[in-house]
Amino acid sequence: MPELLSLRDVSAAYGRIQALSHVSLSVPEGAIVALLGANGAGKSTTLNVISRLVPQSGGEILFRGASIAARASHEVVRAGIAQVPEGREVFREMSVRENLELGAHLRRDARGVAEDVERAFAYFPVLRERYRQRAGTLSGGEQQMLLIARALMARPALLLLDEPSLGLSPLLVQQIFGIIRRINEDGTTILLVEQNVGVALGCSSYAYILENGEIAHHGPSASLAADGAVQNAYLGGH
Amino acid sequence: MDSEVLFLFLQQGIASGIVSGSVYALLALAIVMIFKTSEVPNFAQGEVFMVAAYAALFLIVFYGLPMWVVIPAALLFTVAGMMLFEAGILRRVKKALGEPVNLVIATLGLSFLLRGLVRQTGLGDTPRSFPSLVSTDPVQIGQAMLTRLDLAIVGTAVAVMAAVFLLFNFTRAGRAMRALGMNPKAAALVGIDIRRTHAFVWGLSGLVSAISALLIAPKILMTPEMGHVAILAFAAAIVGGFNSLPGAVLGGFIIGIAENLVGLFVSASAIVVTPFLAIMAVLVLRPQGLLGGRPQMRKV
Repeated sequence: MPELLSLRDVSAAYGRIQALSHVSLSVPEGAIVALLGANGAGKSTTLNVISRLVPQSGGEILFRGASIAARASHEVVRAGIAQVPEGREVFREMSVRENLELGAHLRRDARGVAEDVERAFAYFPVLRERYRQRAGTLSGGEQQMLLIARALMARPALLLLDEPSLGLSPLLVQQIFGIIRRINEDGTTILLVEQNVGVALGCSSYAYILENGEIAHHGPSASLAADGAVQNAYLGGH
Repeated sequence: MDSEVLFLFLQQGIASGIVSGSVYALLALAIVMIFKTSEVPNFAQGEVFMVAAYAALFLIVFYGLPMWVVIPAALLFTVAGMMLFEAGILRRVKKALGEPVNLVIATLGLSFLLRGLVRQTGLGDTPRSFPSLVSTDPVQIGQAMLTRLDLAIVGTAVAVMAAVFLLFNFTRAGRAMRALGMNPKAAALVGIDIRRTHAFVWGLSGLVSAISALLIAPKILMTPEMGHVAILAFAAAIVGGFNSLPGAVLGGFIIGIAENLVGLFVSASAIVVTPFLAIMAVLVLRPQGLLGGRPQMRKV
């Protein structure tokens, strides 16, 4: 499969604290790739460097073969990369409808946007019921769904998902990951950051493990799941 | 005081209060829209207001230009100046030392710079009066006496408020500004151009300030210190709720009316303390301001 996104030797720092050093990874078109690791290993930083929220201090990021290093965050979205941030980063005082419309901020095709709102309802029927409600009043799970739906409104080729299972009940995690798989089958490539290793390895085809800002291990998800040493060393022995 | 006089004073106080309140409201609107997006109280807002009026006066006195050239030129000058300050100075300060106090000091610096600039032209040496486009013939409303100019001020101010309301709520740029104020990270992630939106907010704030300055200029004596009126606009913003645009408007009218009523019923020298009494009353009874949202917990 052709490569959609690749990071080569990417480093980043917050002041003097090195957050990423020489991270290289590759996301093939159509795949779900998982990025795993402990808290503070640099998973979110990696996504935020790709989204240009955190500047890189070295290395190269290629999207469809072209460097995105000099782009601003909105230009990365326009190029086709949308991020679902960790936590509940909805526009709290706005309605679900306005949140979704903001997801399509860079698009001018009103008809296509309307179609995509319907598509979002197909994935997440509860959003239709909450359409006129303020986003801040939604439950945690509903806000997570809204975040994914909002990112999809940009019609991204690549979706960056940051901890979609965070704070959700096991049942809800199952439901959300079912939908993530459907989104992938419908044609969106996914780079998934997760702490829930079992679920992440289960739905991805390839995985990278970050430790202290470096890629410590990588391989096909199935073989990482079967590798007892890797499980114990990096993934808390789940 | 018999009831007839009381009723007359009440009408006059409210009518005059609406006139001055509409100017405070515009200036408060300009302050709040910046605070909501940049989280900086712009302490140069009064000087921006002052410079807009002097820019217009400058073109009239030195070039003898007609009003239909002077007004758009002064508005444009103010908008450009605000955008330049945001993009050229504030953005750099934010990048170098991102702490809010440094940004506040940058706005204080701007206020000194602008006052110095006006003094440099020599126009500020003596108080000036600004020509009025509208006649100051008296108009009676109920038992209150106003002038045609007063009505034009209120009319224009209300039209500007309505335009700002429509812009914020029903346009793409307005939604981007609201989104940026609510959640800057999420705004960047949905593809809002953060830099351009900041510049746009500052430009819009400059425009609203400049309009309020040109409205009130014919009614007051212009001095380089006229920007002190911004203190009343800050009071209005606090009374209305510092993060609420409708609150800024409401607060502006409340301060304007309260000042005039106190002036008529108590004494003219009590006018000065009125805004501060209003602030204290609001802070005790409803700390977030009349229309301010619940104070939000901020993640550090």
